[in-house]
Amino acid sequence: MVRDDFDQRLRDRLEGVTEPAPDVWEGISQGLERRRRRVVFRRFAVAAAAAAAVLALALLVFRGPRTGGQVVAPVQIAGTEKPVVAPAETPDIPDIAPIEEQIAALPHQAVAVARVHKPAAPVVPATDEPAAAEPVAVEPTVEAKAETPVVAEPKADEARHLLSEDELPADYWTREEASEKSHSRTHTSQISILSNLTTTATDGNLLYIPSPMHASSQSGKSQAVSDIEPYSTNKFYAPLTFGLQVAFPLTDRLFIATGVNYSYLVSQYDILYKKVMYEGAYNQLHYVGVPLSLSYHFVQTPHLGVYAAVTGAAEKCVAQRYVFGSNVLSEKVTGLQWSAKAGIGIEYWFIPHMGIYFDPSLIYFFDNKQPLSIRTQQPLQANFEVGLRFKI
Amino acid sequence: MRETSTYTEAELISGCVHGDREAQRLLYERYASVMYPVCVRYLGREDAKDVLQEGFLTVFDKIGTYKGEGSFEGWMRKLFVNASLMHLRKTDVLRRTEDIDEVPEAGGVLEHGVLEQISSREILDLVAGLPAGLRSVFNLFVMEGYSHAEVGALLGITEQSSRSQLSRARSLLQEKIKKIYNGKR
Repeated sequence: MVRDDFDQRLRDRLEGVTEPAPDVWEGISQGLERRRRRVVFRRFAVAAAAAAAVLALALLVFRGPRTGGQVVAPVQIAGTEKPVVAPAETPDIPDIAPIEEQIAALPHQAVAVARVHKPAAPVVPATDEPAAAEPVAVEPTVEAKAETPVVAEPKADEARHLLSEDELPADYWTREEASEKSHSRTHTSQISILSNLTTTATDGNLLYIPSPMHASSQSGKSQAVSDIEPYSTNKFYAPLTFGLQVAFPLTDRLFIATGVNYSYLVSQYDILYKKVMYEGAYNQLHYVGVPLSLSYHFVQTPHLGVYAAVTGAAEKCVAQRYVFGSNVLSEKVTGLQWSAKAGIGIEYWFIPHMGIYFDPSLIYFFDNKQPLSIRTQQPLQANFEVGLRFKI
Repeated sequence: MRETSTYTEAELISGCVHGDREAQRLLYERYASVMYPVCVRYLGREDAKDVLQEGFLTVFDKIGTYKGEGSFEGWMRKLFVNASLMHLRKTDVLRRTEDIDEVPEAGGVLEHGVLEQISSREILDLVAGLPAGLRSVFNLFVMEGYSHAEVGALLGITEQSSRSQLSRARSLLQEKIKKIYNGKR
């Protein structure tokens, strides 16, 4: 290219010009310190999430049978085997009277039955001994079960009559357990409004990708922007996810959840577009996904829950945009982004039907030929999900 | 504490790659006076200080990617040019071109010997004093060697607009150089 002589002479004079610069080292030093702290925090966050995930997996995999200091409910099939009671729970302390005697001793108390943990459905034949005294020795019979008495509603003047264990209907405890379980079930389906923040350890330093694995030209077919090629990665902003999930109880402690998530990813990198380099082009990705999660609640109190969860998700990139200079270009993205997540969570119920939860976890994004983003550059990420949870 | 002159460039780069704050400070001291005029050329003195700081942070961030191909100073200069252009884009200065039309078209050729009577510092100030649009086109075309098509693409203007603005920048500079030269006679 022919350059003007004036241009050349100006260039010669300006090239290599030096001039004392204002002292900005203090500002640079502070900026470096801020960046160092960010890196330390990210590493800590990744380590914490990794530990949480490992703990969660360990709890899911190695958790043994639950006894929890309760009498193990005998699985009683009439005419088969004796009910089994945990030895530790055998009431062999002579100083303590059977519960029925204690109840009976209460004067004029309008309480019909004191609730104790009891084998789920032992049908106890009439004996002289209180049922609770020797639960192991009882041999259930089919006949006894079949003769389950129907208990009439106590009248007002009968309210003071105290039922002994033997007078209870055979399915009293079963009914109560079932009633409790049913009551509990109706309140354990949950709906969650969530937001995710993912910390990343990558902050650039990939200068040149000659033929990028995840270049947009490989994932999308739009002719209009097929010339776009990531040249150097500069910055990945923390992805944001919002979603709505519904969880259903499979058992008292095991939940399955699904819903819909929206994720927004922004990257900034230099691109080559029609052989011209644009520095700091923004790439925006919009994903909509469906997660499927399984969680095990190993701590459940009225106000607090602690659980471990594993989640798989499929996400579809519904929109991709490049913004550089005065250009805004869109591109279609094919395929799905699959991911797997494991972590632990803690939930706190402010009121019986509403609570807040926090799920630190580790998430891994599989290589599904998606556009360049933090997910392709750093597939393993620490993920922090917070949200509101409602019992329905 | 060693002086900056006792370190080789490779030692400084290596120290910076490992996050050695002392190496970073020495690198800054060695190159600040070289990169500052680059920022001034693109932004004027008012904004150059901010971009100088931001540019060095970028250098320390990306220094691990310098593979020793080409001069280190050239590599740094490219980062500072990019940082300056980013700043211009952020402040949207490039879109405000109303001042360009007031600049007269080229009026004659500067006689030989005139430019040589003007100091480099004065020339730098003249370039820094150009309207932002003219200044950007002049720097990218004359100093960085981009084509008009590339300048247009970088600045979001047409190729013809790039040619036109370069022509106006030349005229303005020649006119001001003549004034300084005449003032010195």
